[in-house]
Amino acid sequence: MVIIEGLNKKYGNQGAEVSALVDINLTIEEGEFICLLGPSGCGKSTLLKIVAGLIPATSGRMSIDGKLVDGPGPERAVVFQDYALFPWMTVRDNVEFGLQARGRSVKERREVSERLLKIVGLADFANRFPHHLSGGMKQRVSIARALAVDPSLLLMDEPFGALDAQTRETLQDELLRIWREYKKTVIFVTHSIEEALYLSDRIVVMTARPGRIKQIVTIEEPRPRDMTSETMGRLQREVRAVLGEEINRAAALEQADMMAGA
Amino acid sequence: MAMMASSKSAVSKPAIVPPAKTAWRFRMPNRERLLGLGTIAGFLLIWQMVYTLGFMPKWAFPSPWQVVLAFRDLILNGVLLTNTAASVGRQITGVALAALVGIPAGLIMGASPTVRAAFLPLCRLLYPIPGIAWIPLAILWFGIGFTSTVFVIFFSGIWSIMFNTMTGVQTLSGQYTEVAKVYLASRRLYTWRILIPGSLPYIITGMRLTYGVGWRVIVGAEMISSITGLGFLIDDARWQLRPDIMICGMITIAMIGWVSENWFFDWVEKKTIERWGMKTV
Repeated sequence: MVIIEGLNKKYGNQGAEVSALVDINLTIEEGEFICLLGPSGCGKSTLLKIVAGLIPATSGRMSIDGKLVDGPGPERAVVFQDYALFPWMTVRDNVEFGLQARGRSVKERREVSERLLKIVGLADFANRFPHHLSGGMKQRVSIARALAVDPSLLLMDEPFGALDAQTRETLQDELLRIWREYKKTVIFVTHSIEEALYLSDRIVVMTARPGRIKQIVTIEEPRPRDMTSETMGRLQREVRAVLGEEINRAAALEQADMMAGA
Repeated sequence: MAMMASSKSAVSKPAIVPPAKTAWRFRMPNRERLLGLGTIAGFLLIWQMVYTLGFMPKWAFPSPWQVVLAFRDLILNGVLLTNTAASVGRQITGVALAALVGIPAGLIMGASPTVRAAFLPLCRLLYPIPGIAWIPLAILWFGIGFTSTVFVIFFSGIWSIMFNTMTGVQTLSGQYTEVAKVYLASRRLYTWRILIPGSLPYIITGMRLTYGVGWRVIVGAEMISSITGLGFLIDDARWQLRPDIMICGMITIAMIGWVSENWFFDWVEKKTIERWGMKTV
């Protein structure tokens, strides 16, 4: 279980501070699939990075399974939007990186990477270098790399944002299959309403700058979800209305910034 | 040698298989190759004409053929080989030492803003001193011979490899560091598996420059502070009034420099950053 209490994040020095996140309170149950949804610049990626332990929060507390955390930990793994694979390592070495960092034996690493590459359908590409792979395949490697360290919490920062629609849909289904099979808790950042509705148990809708939690939408539809069903249509309109306000506000803020800059 | 002929054309497309050994000899030279060879032939022709028409005194200006004959003699009596070996040995030692010090120094300076702030001003101050300017001091400190030449190569070459490695580390995507943090990589693993391979495009460029600078400074160093080497061979030929030997030495330097700078480093790139899809040009 992840508990975030009174979390704030400010950038800049005293006097010229900019609030990125304000008073974030969120409790995430074991095995839950959570989407962080919001307009660009709302701090959803910042929040994910704070949960990952990559950047510190300015104030507030965060605990995972009862333990306070303020840095990266073995129970968390991150999948980045632009894959962040190491181009100088083969697909296999990329997948094994986390295990190598944990000092696992070559034999154990090999077993894990072979199993996971099979799961993501890339068993034949183990000895290739990432630049030979398509975007979708790269993201599969990145997911396999995250799963290799067997995290209980999987953090995904717009992982399918750069992919074409078809690849995106395939990977969404694969992700759900993996999530069900391995019982991971997932925090998934996206700016796509459809993606959030299709994947999550709960959608955390965030406001434009500074990022606050505006509303939490629970989706109880059984999976696989039919996006054309009446309930999903109603939810879609609901979320779109909430998010629409924020997108407009974000656009207005941006325009004001530009006017101030000019 | 076959690899050398095809290396340039294969740079942009690593997938192209180098032509088989027998094929390259009979391949029609392409337009660019013909133009290049034509200009070299024209240069030789002008050289011969200047000699034949007597624009320059014959004792100071040999014909191309005299140079070929001098080459034959120098190869047969072993003088060329021993002097080349001496120069190459110093060059490799100097460049290896520059890499051994410069790469770790560059890595640390790239990774740590504190170290960079402390050492960069001094390095910037030392960098513009030409390698040749170190020679008199090197002779005072190490005497004439191997050590002083190596010292000069080292001091001329270290800056390129150091600054390039530093830039490589600084421009390495922060995301790789984030991945290392997420998976709790140790500093050791981070250095060997991320920092060094990630900066390799810059490290290789730095090594190319270091090697080039070293090879260009070695002749000057050997003229002054040595009694062997290609630089010494050239300078010694002055006392014997043998301009043909001087030109032999110069051509040998050009050939070795060209082969190693292009062929060796191209090969390293092909095995590493080209294979990884990290070569940008």
